[in-house]
Amino acid sequence: MKTFEEKWTAWLDDQLSGSELLEFEASLPDKAAAQAEKAEARKLGELLKRELTTHPLKNEDFFSHQLREQIVRESDEENRKSGARRSPASTWWTIPRLLWAGTGSLAVFLICTVLVMHQERPAEESQYLTQILNARVDPVVSPNATVSIFEVKQDRATVLWTEGLQTLPADYAAK
Amino acid sequence: MQTEATLAQSDVSELDLVKRCQAGDTEAFDELVTRYRTRVFGMIYNMVHSEQDAWDLAQESFLKAWKSIGRFRGQSSFYTWIYRIVMNVTIDWLRKKQIKGGGTEFDDGIQLREIDPASKTVPKTEALPHQAMERDEIRTRIEKAIGQLSPEHRAVILMKEIDDMQYHEIAETLGCSIGTVMSRLFYARKKLQNLLRDVYENV
Repeated sequence: MKTFEEKWTAWLDDQLSGSELLEFEASLPDKAAAQAEKAEARKLGELLKRELTTHPLKNEDFFSHQLREQIVRESDEENRKSGARRSPASTWWTIPRLLWAGTGSLAVFLICTVLVMHQERPAEESQYLTQILNARVDPVVSPNATVSIFEVKQDRATVLWTEGLQTLPADYAAK
Repeated sequence: MQTEATLAQSDVSELDLVKRCQAGDTEAFDELVTRYRTRVFGMIYNMVHSEQDAWDLAQESFLKAWKSIGRFRGQSSFYTWIYRIVMNVTIDWLRKKQIKGGGTEFDDGIQLREIDPASKTVPKTEALPHQAMERDEIRTRIEKAIGQLSPEHRAVILMKEIDDMQYHEIAETLGCSIGTVMSRLFYARKKLQNLLRDVYENV
């Protein structure tokens, strides 16, 4: 069952025929007014067609060119995405790569550390210093004895300052 | 590049072009674009009244068509199919614009645009300045009146009056029933008649 709006539209566009047309026209309270409105609708349609018929597209070739570029760009992006989805192996391979990178970094770090430590290793202590350090001042023999050590490693120099010693240790090399 | 006229004369059928597009042939799609770009642009322009927006929306529509050409089954003509995309894109855009509420409905900067010399609506002789102004005024009135319609009503009246599409084609394009199309036409015509009566009675 068509609504009045549908029938009216069909009537305006001459889409009603036969009994449907007769029924509809018979149902109109004022046929003359309806005909006038139909004529108005026609004028409106003509006006729209006349004034709005295809607005020109300027730079048609550029329009197509821009579209082609967009399609290429989108296709590239789509291929990249689908490629990443299709080959999980490429994702898996990043793990060994990471492992290798980590191992390499660790090795470099260790080498650097060893080198730095080697450079900073204190100079071999002098024989005298070792002897003094190993020796113990006998507190019975020299109760007020003090021993001070001044060391400048980069110059490989050590100064031993003793005070209050009654005797030097028997194994002291300077003896 | 082939012109629309030469393409119309060519033997390459639309369906062949579509099949080639579905196989990834961008040149075939380029031919389809060449065939329909002017009509598509013109329809969108009448909906949005801005050349720049119409350009962008036409580009977006064709791009969507390319992406989804694989789903085209040939049950309707390619033109009806692409028109559906065009209408979806344009109506969505108009709705978003209405929701945002920002900006003016009309691009006043282009109201006094050039008229295509090849257009059927342009008189052969050069229009006098007052005639040109009058035409611009009429177009502005029409565009403003159409701007007062909802996106769906705009689409229906333009497809019917400008593109001479049948009710069922409009219904297919908009994804609604024929009854809805006829009902929308009824209200769109009534509103435009009220708004433009003095124009079409005096022109």
